[in-house]
Amino acid sequence: METELRNAIRKLLEEKTVDVAIGYGRVGVGGAVGAVFVTSPDEVDQLVWNSECRQNLAVHLTRPEIKALGKIAIVVKACDARAVVVLANESQIKRDEIVVVGVVCEGVVKARFDGSNGEQLFEKCASCVEHAPKNVDVLIGDEAKAAELDAKNAPTAATSGNQAKLAKLRAMTSEERFQYWRGEFSRCVRCYACRQSCPLCYCNRCVADKNRPTRIETSASMKGVFAWNLLRAFHLAGRCVSCGSCAAACPAGIELDLLNLTLVNAAKEHFNYVAGEPGVPPLIGTYSLDDEEDFIR
Amino acid sequence: MSQIITLEQLKQTLKEKLASGARVVAPVLDGDMATFKPITNVEKASFEPRACVQNSIKEFFFPKHETLFSFVRQGNDVVLTDAADFDVEQIVVGARPCDAAALPILDPLFAWDYQDRFYQERRAKTTVVTFACTKSDAHCFCSAVGGAPDNTSGADAILFDLGDGSFEVRAVTEKGTALFAGKTSESDKTGAACEPPKADFDVNSIAAWIRENYSSPLWEKVSLRCVGCGACAFVCPTCHCFDMVDEGSYNKGKRVRNWDSCQEAMFTLHASGHNPRGTQGKRQRQRLAHKFVIYPDKFKSFLCTGCGSCSRSCGQMFGVRPCLEALDKQGVKAQQ
Repeated sequence: METELRNAIRKLLEEKTVDVAIGYGRVGVGGAVGAVFVTSPDEVDQLVWNSECRQNLAVHLTRPEIKALGKIAIVVKACDARAVVVLANESQIKRDEIVVVGVVCEGVVKARFDGSNGEQLFEKCASCVEHAPKNVDVLIGDEAKAAELDAKNAPTAATSGNQAKLAKLRAMTSEERFQYWRGEFSRCVRCYACRQSCPLCYCNRCVADKNRPTRIETSASMKGVFAWNLLRAFHLAGRCVSCGSCAAACPAGIELDLLNLTLVNAAKEHFNYVAGEPGVPPLIGTYSLDDEEDFIR
Repeated sequence: MSQIITLEQLKQTLKEKLASGARVVAPVLDGDMATFKPITNVEKASFEPRACVQNSIKEFFFPKHETLFSFVRQGNDVVLTDAADFDVEQIVVGARPCDAAALPILDPLFAWDYQDRFYQERRAKTTVVTFACTKSDAHCFCSAVGGAPDNTSGADAILFDLGDGSFEVRAVTEKGTALFAGKTSESDKTGAACEPPKADFDVNSIAAWIRENYSSPLWEKVSLRCVGCGACAFVCPTCHCFDMVDEGSYNKGKRVRNWDSCQEAMFTLHASGHNPRGTQGKRQRQRLAHKFVIYPDKFKSFLCTGCGSCSRSCGQMFGVRPCLEALDKQGVKAQQ
């Protein structure tokens, strides 16, 4: 697959279809996998594809430093591809101006707390039912294998992985749940790694950065960390694609994706909506004259 | 002869400190993640040397959030109330040598043109006990910036794990001697730290390159994957930038100090809308130049202890070591 991926990117660069390809490479300490920005066909051997390709590279699509490099090709997993759909839906990118290279993903492994690779797949991967990305221009990998994996996970998807973790939290009393998040948020330092690694937190001026007047306190006090983390979850309601970048990036190991999952479930339950489906208009920002609620008409 | 203390005696010493009203800070495990926290039960703490703790001990000297003073408006006057003095004795135990080494680096900064009593009071009332390292990992590079696995800089006492439920105690300062007075016994056993971590770059050569290459396109190139969060700065034992804001209402509130990071675009955004550090390359240049040129020029030490916390915490697999290595390979060595 890696060779196939390199060949596809080499072709895009050689034919000058794109100026830069955003993919994965062994760039970190001890060869840890992170984003690489390949601008020449000679450099494609830097690209790798394996179970350590954790980051959602779609976060780079809206960054000015990257847009300055020219026309972009991007390597995506299925969950990352959904973020590309949302970005296009929300007019942050023009879908036909980028080349999306999808890879069939069999799951990515969690990093251990010390930064090394663990053996366990991310919870989102353990319950994943979309191993082949949609909405791509080039697809690398075995679609039949992907369908097989989808079918294998389908029966337990609603009750395993993060859904199982969330169900445990939902079974708590509200006081117990509050104490759980109090404990987790006590480690929050307001570094905004969650926001900066999220492809859908693209605002030029985040509400947390507004200071004329201040909308939410910037302090890492209990009040400040609750305000920040809950506000971010709400701003992703009906938009979050459950890629898990926020939780993976959190230096304090807070499972922020569980907050988002609550709202992902709410969108599904109340509106039968899953963010990132190609061709489906965004939930927030869409209305229907046939809506059963009076206030919307 | 060496002085040794058993794990039970160490716990007993800390229990006595807790009973006397002192605050005891130690690593507490949650799964595989260790976090420095104030403890009330010594059994909850983890007393073993470790290369990786989620947070730095700096927050017990320079908290992520603290109140400087409070204000209340009374008629045409504003009444200010100073924050309470920090009058609790504090014992930080289980720090890594590279974490404690940041304290003497930061001392001159907090006692420079402004005497920062918040930091200074906590520093004066705190005893730091480190564990000599028994292993390093690929992120560690203390040896490249003048540190070592058994470095005692910033420590009041250093403990060497003897592997048999006891530690060799080497007191470094009077505070360290006082903490363990009467708690140790003589022994002929001595402890040793692990081998120093390896780094095949020379920080002085990189610092010289940084000095000469302010406008190098390499800055943007090596920083492309940095998404501009503050994780590296907030886990760093030496990063110390802060922001002061007023919280509350027009009539009643407080002025607080919060950690801030030069990696966030907002850090240098002017009210005009202009940002002198408008790209991530410029922000990384600032971070590296501050650590290896600006701070050494002013305070005679690198603003980095080689602890590796930044790269362990970075979701994009960046941090000081990967940045230094990229500058060394693509800058320093490319010029030779």
